Amino acid sequence: MKIVPTIGMETHVELKTNSKMFCRCNVVETDKPNENLCPTCLGLPGSLPVPNKRAIEFITLLALSTKCQITTDGMFHRKNYFYPDLPKNYQISQFDLPVGTEGSLEIVVNGEFSTVEIERVHMEEDTGKSTHIGSGRIDSATSTHLDFNRAGIPLVEVVTKPLIKSSKEAVSYIEELRQLVIDLDISEGKLEKGNLRFDANISVAYENDDELGTKVEIKNMNSLRSLEKAIEYEISRQTKMLNNNETIIQETRHWDEKKEVTSSMRSKEGSADYRYFSDPDIPNMILSEDFIDKIKNNMPVLPSEKRNTFINSGLSIEDANSIGKSPKWMGELYKSVSDITNDSKTSFNWITGELQGQLRKLGETSPPEWMTAEQLAEIISLVKSDKISFTSGKEILGELIEEKINPEEYAISNKLIQENDTEEISKMVKEIIKENSEVLERIANGEQKLIGFLVGQVIKLSKGKVNPSVAKELLLKEIK
Amino acid sequence: MNHYKLSISEINKLFKDKKLKPSELYSEVFERAANTESIIHGHLTLFQDENIKKAADADKRYENGTELGILDGIPIAIKDNINIAGYATTCSSQMLSNYISPYDATVITKLKDEGVMFTGKTNLDEFAMGSSTENSAFGPTKNPWDPSRVPGGSSGGSAAVVSAGSAIASLGSDTGGSIRQPASFCGVVGFKPTYGTVSRFGLVAFASSLDQIGPITNNVEDSKILFNSMKGFDPFDATSRKESKTKQPKLNNAKIGIIKELMEDGISEDAKLEVQKVAKLLESQGHEIVEVSLPLTKMSISIYYLIAPAECSANLSRFDGVRYGNRVAGNTSYEMMENTRAEGFGPEVKKRILLGTYALSAGYYDAFYGQALKARAMMKKEFTETYKEVDYLISPTTPSDPFKFGEKSDNQLEMYMSDLCTIPANLVGMPAISIPTGLSSNGLPLSVQIMSPANTDNTLLEFSQKLESVVSFTSLPEIKGGVS
Repeated sequence: MKIVPTIGMETHVELKTNSKMFCRCNVVETDKPNENLCPTCLGLPGSLPVPNKRAIEFITLLALSTKCQITTDGMFHRKNYFYPDLPKNYQISQFDLPVGTEGSLEIVVNGEFSTVEIERVHMEEDTGKSTHIGSGRIDSATSTHLDFNRAGIPLVEVVTKPLIKSSKEAVSYIEELRQLVIDLDISEGKLEKGNLRFDANISVAYENDDELGTKVEIKNMNSLRSLEKAIEYEISRQTKMLNNNETIIQETRHWDEKKEVTSSMRSKEGSADYRYFSDPDIPNMILSEDFIDKIKNNMPVLPSEKRNTFINSGLSIEDANSIGKSPKWMGELYKSVSDITNDSKTSFNWITGELQGQLRKLGETSPPEWMTAEQLAEIISLVKSDKISFTSGKEILGELIEEKINPEEYAISNKLIQENDTEEISKMVKEIIKENSEVLERIANGEQKLIGFLVGQVIKLSKGKVNPSVAKELLLKEIK
Repeated sequence: MNHYKLSISEINKLFKDKKLKPSELYSEVFERAANTESIIHGHLTLFQDENIKKAADADKRYENGTELGILDGIPIAIKDNINIAGYATTCSSQMLSNYISPYDATVITKLKDEGVMFTGKTNLDEFAMGSSTENSAFGPTKNPWDPSRVPGGSSGGSAAVVSAGSAIASLGSDTGGSIRQPASFCGVVGFKPTYGTVSRFGLVAFASSLDQIGPITNNVEDSKILFNSMKGFDPFDATSRKESKTKQPKLNNAKIGIIKELMEDGISEDAKLEVQKVAKLLESQGHEIVEVSLPLTKMSISIYYLIAPAECSANLSRFDGVRYGNRVAGNTSYEMMENTRAEGFGPEVKKRILLGTYALSAGYYDAFYGQALKARAMMKKEFTETYKEVDYLISPTTPSDPFKFGEKSDNQLEMYMSDLCTIPANLVGMPAISIPTGLSSNGLPLSVQIMSPANTDNTLLEFSQKLESVVSFTSLPEIKGGVS
C-alpha cells in the first residue's frame, strides 16, 4: 500500500519595526551583545509591556494578505516555561484569540498553482540568544552565554494546516511567504539572518488511512536547501519505519546540517503544559473597523497579483513565479522592456539570463543607473530583427553595463550590423563556392557538417557582417 | 514643638511662612526614626545622609520662593517593592537582598518632580504576600500601638512609620487590602485608588490585575494630595487610564449602603459597633443609611486566592538567578535556577506560586482559574448594579483590631480572612479608603472602609474628609522607649 507524507509548517517572521514589541528599545543590528536593553525586555522587577502599534499593523497586514479572518477582539497570553534566555520565564504570545485564523496562500509548485491552508497567524515576542559553551545543549554545557538584544523583537508566527504533501511544496510555500513579507515591507525576509525561521511537522501514513500518522517536529533548518533535505530524509526515515512495522514516537528532532540526518532532541511524550492565561498587563487588543480598513486601503501589490500580471504579459506560470521572486528591479525592468518589445519570453530570457549573468560576473546586484528599458529593448530588437548577431547583442549589453552608450550607434560604429542584402551575400557565396570545390565534393559525399565551414568562410569574407542564417540559406540554395 | 503629625498643607504653610525649614523637619523625622526604629522596624533602609543636600536645596527653594509645590521638602517613605533608581528594591525577600534598581517607578519620578524627599524603603511581607509583615525575610515590623501586635500587611512598614512619625506619609501597594488593612491596624488613613489610575510601572508585580499603588497618611487630605500628584495616564503602563468623565456620587444627602455580608460571622463585635457608630454620625450629617446585600462578597476570598496566586506564579518566574538578584550555584543552568528559587523564596511565596501553578495547569484551568475569572466578572456586575442604588458602600476595614504576632500564622485560613472586607474593592477595581474612627475594647485603632464606583476617587476622598472631620479621631500611639 502506498505511504504518503503530511507536512505542516510553523514559521516565525521577525518584523522590521523600529522598536521592540513591548518596549522602546531599538531594533538594530549590532555585534555587541546586550546593547539594546531596557528594564522591560530584560524582565527587571516592576517593568511592564506596552504593545507596539506598528507591529500590530504589520501582523494585520500579513493576516489580511493571507486571506485570514481577523480577530477584532483578541488578546495576549502568557506562555509559561523556564529557560535562561527567556527574561520573564514566560513569553508574551497569543493563544486562543490570534490576530488571524483560517487563511490561505497561493503558491507555485513545479509550474502549477497550489494552495497552502493557513491555520493561524499570531503575534509574540522573541527570546534572547543562548550560546552553550562546551556542548551544544544546555544540560551538558559548561557555561551558557546570553545575549538579550533579540529579546522582545516582534515575531509573527504563521502556522499552516498539515496539508502540505511534499518537500518541494514546503519549499515553495516558504519562498512565497518570504516574498510576501518582503513585498509587504514588514520584514527583511533574510533567511541567513534568521528573519524567517521555520520548523516542520512531518508524519507518514498509508494513503487510505483516515488518521494522520504520529507527528515528528524537525528543528534547526536554516536554509531552503536544508528544509528540502530534512523533509526528504524524515519522510524516508518514517516510511522505512512504517514498512518495518516500527512505532514512530512523537518527538522533536534536530536537523544535522553536516551529516544530513535528523536526530532526536527530546521526546514529547510528557507534553509541555505552558499554563497559558491572558496577560493581565495588557488590555484586550481591539482592532477597529477603521484600523483594518486603513490597512486594507494601503495594501501593496501582493506577490500573487504580481505573478498574475507577469502571466498576463505572456510568461509561463513558472517564469512568472520566478521573476516575481527575483530582485524587484528585474520584474520592473521586465515589465518595461516587454511592453516595448512585445515579446515576453525573449525579454524574460535577456533579463533573467544574460543581464543577470553578466552582472553576477561583475559582482553587481543591480544594473547601473543609466541603463534604461529602452536601451535593453533596443538591443533585443536589433538581435531579433537580425541586424546584429546574438553574440554582438551580448557584447553591446556588456558595454552598456560598463558605460552609458547608445546600442545602435555602438553597433554601427563597431561594425556589428549584419549584411542582410541577399544580392551582396549571393556574390560572396558564389565566390566561396568557387574557391572550395574540394569541400563541395565532400559535402556531396555526405559530410554535411562542412556546410558550417563554408558559412564561416562567407562570414570571414564579409568581415563578420553577414547574418549567418541568411548566408547558410543562400549557400544551401547554391549547392543544390 | 513636634511637626511630624502635622498635615502636609500645615507643614507647607510653615515652610512658606519661613517658620520651619525642610532641613529642620527632615532632622526631626530622622531623629524620630532613630528613637522608634529599634522598636518598630518599619524602615528596611533609611536614606539619611544622601538627603542632607536635598533638604538644603529645598530650604533654598523656599527661601527664594521657587518651591516646586505643596509636596516640596516633605519626607515620604516608600514601600520596598517600588523602585527608586540607585537603591535596593528587596521586596523583603532573600531573592533580591542585593538587587539595586537601575530605574525609577513612574510614581517616584512624579514625586521627585515635586521635590519629595524619600526617608527610605519600608518593610513588607515578602513580595507583598501577607497580612502581618511576618513574612518579611528581614524580620517583622511591630505595631506602634502595641509592639506585641502586628502592624498588618503587606504594607506594614509603610503604615507603621506614618503612625510612628518617622515619615510624614508613605506609599504602599494594595492587592487585596495591603494598604487599607495595615493603615487600619496602625490607626492611619490608607487609600486604594481605582485600578489603572496610578501607574504600576516600577512596582514589583504580585498580581497585576489587582495591584494598585496608593498613599498611607495621617489624614484624608494628605492622601488626596499624594493621590493627585501620582495619578494619570502613563505610556509605560498599558493598564493605566486617562481620567474619564464618570457620574460622581453625591457629597451631600448621599445614600450609603452598609454591606450586609461584611457585618455577619467572622466580624468582631467591636468592628461592627464601629461601623454602626459611623453610620449614625453620617445620618446626623444628613445622609441616608441603607443595608445592601452583595452576596458574592462572601466568595471574594476564594476568588482572590485563585486569581492572585495564578498571576503571581507567572510574575515571580523571572526571579531565577540568571540576570539579577541572588544566585545559588548548580551543576546545570536548570539546577542553578531551581536552587536559587528554593533558597531565595520564603514559604508563603512558595505556597502561592504552587497554588497558582496548579490553578493554571492543563485540566484544572477551567475548574479553578477560569471559574474565578467568571465569578470576578459577576462580582463586578453586582457592585455596578448596587452603585445604581447607593452613592457609597461602608464596611469595617478589618474583621478585628490588630492581632498578636504568631496568633494567626498557624491558621492560614484565619490569616486570609483578615482581608475579607478589603479584597472586594481589588476584585472589582474600584476605589476604597480606610479611615480610623475609634479604639477597640483593647485600646487599639479601629477603622471603617468607604468604597465608591470606579473613577470617583476624588469625590470619595472629599466625602471621607467630611466624615473625618466629624469623627475627629485624634488618638496617637505611645511608643514605649520612644520619644513621645
